[in-house]
Amino acid sequence: MTLPLGDLVAIIPELIVATVACLVLVLDPITPPSRTHWLAWLSVASLVACFGITVSRMDATVTAFSDLMILDPYAGYWKLLLYVVTALTILLSLAYLRVERIHLGEYYGLILLSLAGMMIMVSAADLLVIYLGTELMSLSLYVLAGFKRFEVRSLEASAKYFVLGSFSSGILLYGISLLFGVAGSTRLSAIAAAVGTHGLDDPALLFAMILLVVGFGFKIAVVPFHMWTPDVYEGSPTSVTAFMAVASKAASFAAFLRVFLEGLGGLREKWYALFLVICVATLILGNVVAIVQTNIKRMLAYSSIAHAGYALIGVVVAGQAAADNETRALGLSSVMLYLAMYAFMTFGAFAVVALLRKGGLEGEEIEDFTGLAKRQPLAALLMLVFMVSLAGIPPTAGFIGKLYVFMAAVNAGLTWLAVVAVLLTAVSAYYYLRVVMVMYMREPDPSAGLVSRLTTSPALTLVLASAFAGVILLGLFPDPLVSITTSAVLPFK
Amino acid sequence: MVPVFFSYFSLVSILAGVLTVALPNPVHCGLALLTLLLHVAGLFLLLNAEFLFVIQIIVYAGAIVVLYLFVLMLLNLKTDERVLHHRYAVILVAAAAICGGLLLMALRSPFQGAKGHAPVEAVLQDGGSYAIGITIFNEYLLQFEIVGVFLLGAIIGAIVLAKTPTAVDVEPE
Amino acid sequence: MYDLLVILIPVFPLLAVLINGLAGHRYSHHVAYRLACGSVGLSFLCSVAVFATTLRTGITREVVAYTWIFGGDLVVNLAFLIDPLTCVMLLVVTGVGLLIHLYSIGYMHGEEGFTRFFTYMNLFMVSMLLLVMGNNYLVLFIGWEGVGLCSYLLIGYYYDRVSAAKAATKAFVMNRIGDAGFLLAIFLVFVNFGTLDYTEVFARAGELSTATATAIALCLLIGAVGKSAQVPLYTWLPDAMEGPTPVSALIHAATMVTAGVYMIVRNHAIFDMAPVAMTTVAWVGGITALFAATIGLVQNDIKRVLAYSTVSQLGYMFLACGIGAYTAAIFHLMTHAFFKALLFLAAGSVIHALSGEQDIRKMGGLKARIPMTHALFLVGTLAIAGIFPLAGFWSKDEIMAHAFTHGHYALYAMAVLGALLTSFYMFRLTYLTFYGQSRVEPHVAGHIHESPGIMIKPLLVLAVLSVIGGFPGVPPEEGWFHHFLDPVTVGVLSGAAHQGATHPIVLLMVVATVIALAGWGLAHFLYSARPEAASQWAARAPAAYRTLFNKYYIDEAYDAAFVEPAKRVGRIWDWFDRTVIDGLVRGVGGMTQGGSALSTWMEKYIIYGSINVLGYANHLTARSWRRLQTGMVHHYAAIIVAGLFILLHLILLW
Repeated sequence: MTLPLGDLVAIIPELIVATVACLVLVLDPITPPSRTHWLAWLSVASLVACFGITVSRMDATVTAFSDLMILDPYAGYWKLLLYVVTALTILLSLAYLRVERIHLGEYYGLILLSLAGMMIMVSAADLLVIYLGTELMSLSLYVLAGFKRFEVRSLEASAKYFVLGSFSSGILLYGISLLFGVAGSTRLSAIAAAVGTHGLDDPALLFAMILLVVGFGFKIAVVPFHMWTPDVYEGSPTSVTAFMAVASKAASFAAFLRVFLEGLGGLREKWYALFLVICVATLILGNVVAIVQTNIKRMLAYSSIAHAGYALIGVVVAGQAAADNETRALGLSSVMLYLAMYAFMTFGAFAVVALLRKGGLEGEEIEDFTGLAKRQPLAALLMLVFMVSLAGIPPTAGFIGKLYVFMAAVNAGLTWLAVVAVLLTAVSAYYYLRVVMVMYMREPDPSAGLVSRLTTSPALTLVLASAFAGVILLGLFPDPLVSITTSAVLPFK
Repeated sequence: MVPVFFSYFSLVSILAGVLTVALPNPVHCGLALLTLLLHVAGLFLLLNAEFLFVIQIIVYAGAIVVLYLFVLMLLNLKTDERVLHHRYAVILVAAAAICGGLLLMALRSPFQGAKGHAPVEAVLQDGGSYAIGITIFNEYLLQFEIVGVFLLGAIIGAIVLAKTPTAVDVEPE
Repeated sequence: MYDLLVILIPVFPLLAVLINGLAGHRYSHHVAYRLACGSVGLSFLCSVAVFATTLRTGITREVVAYTWIFGGDLVVNLAFLIDPLTCVMLLVVTGVGLLIHLYSIGYMHGEEGFTRFFTYMNLFMVSMLLLVMGNNYLVLFIGWEGVGLCSYLLIGYYYDRVSAAKAATKAFVMNRIGDAGFLLAIFLVFVNFGTLDYTEVFARAGELSTATATAIALCLLIGAVGKSAQVPLYTWLPDAMEGPTPVSALIHAATMVTAGVYMIVRNHAIFDMAPVAMTTVAWVGGITALFAATIGLVQNDIKRVLAYSTVSQLGYMFLACGIGAYTAAIFHLMTHAFFKALLFLAAGSVIHALSGEQDIRKMGGLKARIPMTHALFLVGTLAIAGIFPLAGFWSKDEIMAHAFTHGHYALYAMAVLGALLTSFYMFRLTYLTFYGQSRVEPHVAGHIHESPGIMIKPLLVLAVLSVIGGFPGVPPEEGWFHHFLDPVTVGVLSGAAHQGATHPIVLLMVVATVIALAGWGLAHFLYSARPEAASQWAARAPAAYRTLFNKYYIDEAYDAAFVEPAKRVGRIWDWFDRTVIDGLVRGVGGMTQGGSALSTWMEKYIIYGSINVLGYANHLTARSWRRLQTGMVHHYAAIIVAGLFILLHLILLW
């Protein structure tokens, strides 16, 4: 069989990313060690090219490979977000890897492979393809988590992530196979049709749905499938943690929304309740446990769990059976908006953590930030902005994101949920501001030898500036993003 | 005859599965796993899936179990003290009961089953392997390619994690 | 031109923030404070011009600076509403703000982080201006959060004090609780009206059902209670005194804490629709006014006494709002800004003179040493105590009179009692600080000096304002001030405001004066004429004294009821997430030793397997993977499966 050219054209960005990944892997051994950063810049260049291609196709909806892949504005939106985050990760890694003395060219190759998996996830319209994309993404992340090979914590994180990730993949695959049994196909459209004919009470369908909830719940790290998050986030190299916390979560949300809205949209009544419970549990647990953390990476891990909870509010709204299409579309677009906002502020926070050094080791305890405002005023200011944004204080991006999500909830008549979420936002101020407090309201302790220095490089400046600009600009000018998300959710109306 | 064989293969598979995780000696576990895989292969045969049957034996029973056994022998693992308590038995029985219940519940559903898209004549004339080939390279081409990329990632990952740290890694900045 | 003038009001301080914030370390303090004060001065001039225009034309203008959010149903402009209420607030904020900025030049002289201080102060001005000028709820909310953040940063300014950082966090978190209520109110407004613009919302407020209006009003009230430190969210304000004194004067007395009052008055169209909410507002105010005054009786920190008096005076404003006397509330807000800023700054001058001493037990007899400060403080005391004809007399009396003439006798009684206590504790403070024997510590006594001119001159202006500030509101309910504000504040309830007979009002004025003088007399008796009587009284009722001194143990109660449980829950969960597994395995191990004989062969092997199902991975790897071996991983997996079962039951039972 010959491949239709049109199909290949449709997946050019995926092809570019996969090809450059291979290219980086091949070039790595023949590149002199002093030149390895060229590989990073090559990767970034390929992402820029992909960005351009995806932007130029944003308005069209194309299907390829007999409906296995779909390129719609929804997928385009997520891809753009993923490109940006991946590019930021690579640039952050440029500085971070040097300090951590990780000199493996495979790093960039694996990041790109992971990105390829994410891109497949967001534009797949078939459960099997989504599953393979998820696996490609996760596999690369398992390896990346263990990249600090001299640190026990890193290896441990890698192993834990791998074992639990495989376990959750197994559950996901079991769900997919049951759906295949019911529908006779893994296409989302076929599954939607089968849901239509089987009705709401088909036990295999319900069981499969729950298995999918568990499988995706693990990837987006919601309660009670969140247990791995703090351990893995804490142990992984910080640049990888940032990538995981932002890109992998965004891609998983994208695939998960498509599966549940398009494939299992007919079961809305059933999964609505599940997500409501998960959402509330996630919000409460994430925010409350974050209060007592002393390690900033663990704190940010719980914060990312809590943020997944906020995003889930939008999913709950999108699944409300009683609501009209308009309301549900608002819920969906609020999720998309929220994750974009979340991406910038979380990435920024991790970037600052990544570059804070204490002696030769990484400064990871919140106490290590003591008096940072005196030692590194600029880094402290950036961290302040990211923390303020995470706490949802205007006029930062975090506020706009929360505003939209809560607005969607109130609009759908879920005022009580908004009340709970708003109250927990008040709680979250406590732990975010503790970081600000130690930075601004404590004297640096000279005796403890906390001579912290911020490793600076042009790439790093670019990363911090982009994250900062993202947080501030999306806060002040959210209009373009709002209109993109609004048009991107049209297919799900 | 099919029900008899089916019962035999299924029961032995379950038993072998339990033994795989329960036996104290790692090598015994490996052998139990082998038994499990062979009996699952038998189930494939009952379903007229000759190709899968062969692959199951060659890849899993052949390559993977042998690999496991090699690793076990190289590491010379000891059977060490394990902590046991019968409180766990209750949990285990409960879990098994719930799982069984779930399965029964799921099976009550009217499955449509996949009939496949290869023409019946082709399967009859050229055999299941041929039909699978046609299907993989037509309908599942994209998935096949993605699996290719996936395996590449897996190989690289294994190398990265296994590679002896080089001098560059430990050298100061 | 006029539009530009309006927009420039917040832009001047914003520019100063940017310049001082980004380049402040490059030049000397002189440049920094000139920029900071100059920008506020320019804002003040613009505000005066805007006020003059409004006064002349009497029209309400909306000025759109920038269209902010666009998409979906939500369109919000960064736009300003200029009406009489805004004008009054603008003058108070920029006027008092300017004076306090000038004072700060002297007070903060030589402090480390001088430029940082002015940057935060200017940022506060920007936020506060947005808060009072916005023409919709979102701009109000941004200002609202902004002032909270600046307040947080400024309370924690002296970061070498641990208590300062704690106070800052407490203030912020308590404010966030209020903000949560406010945010909900905003959502409810949006859902009911489809817009966030005041003009449209208030025009259609009559369409609201009583229940909805009550819900919105109560949510707004929660926000106002947090920001304005009312019962039960008032405990942060006394702690906020950890900040530098100009901050206490500007943020925690004159402007930010009055934002709640402003917000209620601004939203009176909604409150008028909700009688229940109105009653709640009135009672919250009345209770706070009395409650905080009782605590103020026995405090020994000069700034804390003033802080409790601020809480108490804010209670009067809430009370006024609750009984529909919106104009009176704003009137009291204005006069309070004058005399409370004066008191705080004078207290700052005292503290400055005593090299940082704040305990009034270690003061006394300062009248002769710092006569100017004494005179200014006395003016402030007379004004807040409500001595005729100073500013506080007119505004407080108007609130009490309104309560009486509209039949709120219980509230009136509380207000009168509160006034008595106010007069008493303020004169107590004055006597203990400036009169009697000097109790100043010897090593401090030598350094006592009058503050420099840059600190005294703003105080003189404030003192003049505290004396004459009440006259725009004379005669009560018919003054110039009332006519100016009427277009904004006359609502359903307050529409009937102008019919109070003259006789009771004059009578009530006499009562108020008598009350104020009684408080003075009592304070004079206890702290000047017979100083030993005070401690005798305290000794006679030790329980009451201790309760008051410890502020009714409210802080401790909150800690026990909310803070500790939240932390404990967090810790338990965290512990669970980290170590339950460890413990389980160890505990199980212990039990096994006793029970192993009973284990049958089958159990042994099945269980053994279940524990180690995923354990092989670590056997295959290095010893260093110890934590994995505690079994965490398969317990995590077990929790995932448990989650699966829970979800399944949810589906089956839903």
